[in-house]
Amino acid sequence: MAPPPPAALYTPTFLLALLTTLLLSATLRLLAILPHRASPPQPRKPGAPTRVVIVLGSGGHTQEMLYLLKDLDARKYTHRTWVVSSGDAFSAVRAVGFEKALEEGEGEAKGRRVGPESYDIAIVPRARKIHQSLVTTPVSSLKCLWACFGPLLRSTSLSSSSSTAAEDLPDLIIANGPATACILILAALILKFFDVRGAHSRGKCRTIYAESFARVKTLSLSGKLLVPVVDRFLVQWEGLEGAGGRAEFWGVLV
Amino acid sequence: MSKLCFVTTGATAPFTKLIEAVLSHASLDAFLQCGFTHILIQYGTAPDVYQSSAEAARQYLKQNGTEQKLEIDGIDFDSSGLFEQFKLVQQTQGLVISHAGSGSVLEALRFQLPLVVVPNTALLDNHQEELAVAMDRAGYVIHGNVDHLAPAIKDSERFRTQMAQFPPVTAGKERKVKSFANIMDETVGFTDFNNE
Repeated sequence: MAPPPPAALYTPTFLLALLTTLLLSATLRLLAILPHRASPPQPRKPGAPTRVVIVLGSGGHTQEMLYLLKDLDARKYTHRTWVVSSGDAFSAVRAVGFEKALEEGEGEAKGRRVGPESYDIAIVPRARKIHQSLVTTPVSSLKCLWACFGPLLRSTSLSSSSSTAAEDLPDLIIANGPATACILILAALILKFFDVRGAHSRGKCRTIYAESFARVKTLSLSGKLLVPVVDRFLVQWEGLEGAGGRAEFWGVLV
Repeated sequence: MSKLCFVTTGATAPFTKLIEAVLSHASLDAFLQCGFTHILIQYGTAPDVYQSSAEAARQYLKQNGTEQKLEIDGIDFDSSGLFEQFKLVQQTQGLVISHAGSGSVLEALRFQLPLVVVPNTALLDNHQEELAVAMDRAGYVIHGNVDHLAPAIKDSERFRTQMAQFPPVTAGKERKVKSFANIMDETVGFTDFNNE
């Protein structure tokens, strides 16, 4: 039987010191991964394996997201992962429709990565259903968080012919709210915090949050939560420029 | 020649006041005055309110002998979008009256249709009102309200020729603008987005 550890380790002073050290190192780590310290991206050329994760919120959010992505270049963004909440058939159908339109459009342009091999649709459980009790919300949010790691680590529909991009972490994550977007971005932060598969050191999982066109004077709750942690925070009305200390306004985006 | 006014009340929250406002006597008079021949109402979750209001409106038209001039129809919510309806409005040089949900508003604006946006003030979150005011100020839409819809309907004729283009060609005159695609490219390192 191993001898018990020296009793001295259990003194309040020791625990306090341990806690302080952990807290300090966690804070330093967090500061290191947060956007103001992010290194500029390595230059890349169209055709380089590039995966983008797109979070489709629901009705209005989904529609706005598809407007944001209207000029999506399939030569550059070679694999698309669409994240949809369970039960949101509308968003799943719209994502497939978007990919179909990509496939049919501009057939002559070379190097466009379109078709079923170039996208996947990942379904995650809802963070909070409408009218769900606040007591059980933490549980369902944790389930959602856990499920979000799946589409972040790799494409959810891998086959032998899958591209390098599909098997790797995403290069870019795009969200425009609501709850599921926050949780997926939290999952991405956790990956960066522990540098899982080089999420931080390889400059993966960069994040863009676009505030809804409907927000004119104040940020949404998701926006307020995400403004300090995403790489780019975009607003669509001039009055919101600089909101949260760093909101960017480049004109109407939808 | 026919001329259509399409009214959409949104899919989720019932907006019965908008249905009632569109079919009020003052609004019906405004429609006739502007030469509208059809009103199509997407009543969403309130078919009962639509039925009774439409009945009352037809009675009113009959009393004035104008029931031949203005036809009132209703449709349920259609999840595939409002493409067909907006197309019809475009063809007949008509008008859209919409709740202030950003989905419908953005879709109507893509068609360059004259649009009256009516916020549902019964909703707790009042940013619908903010959006309507800001869009009106920018010249994209007419901000209407349920207690006073007729002036907005009359105003739509003038507005048709003066409405600002959406999305704006340049958001601000002096400032640099970027598209969302540009911002995506910057963020992941596609730096040559200008020479495609």
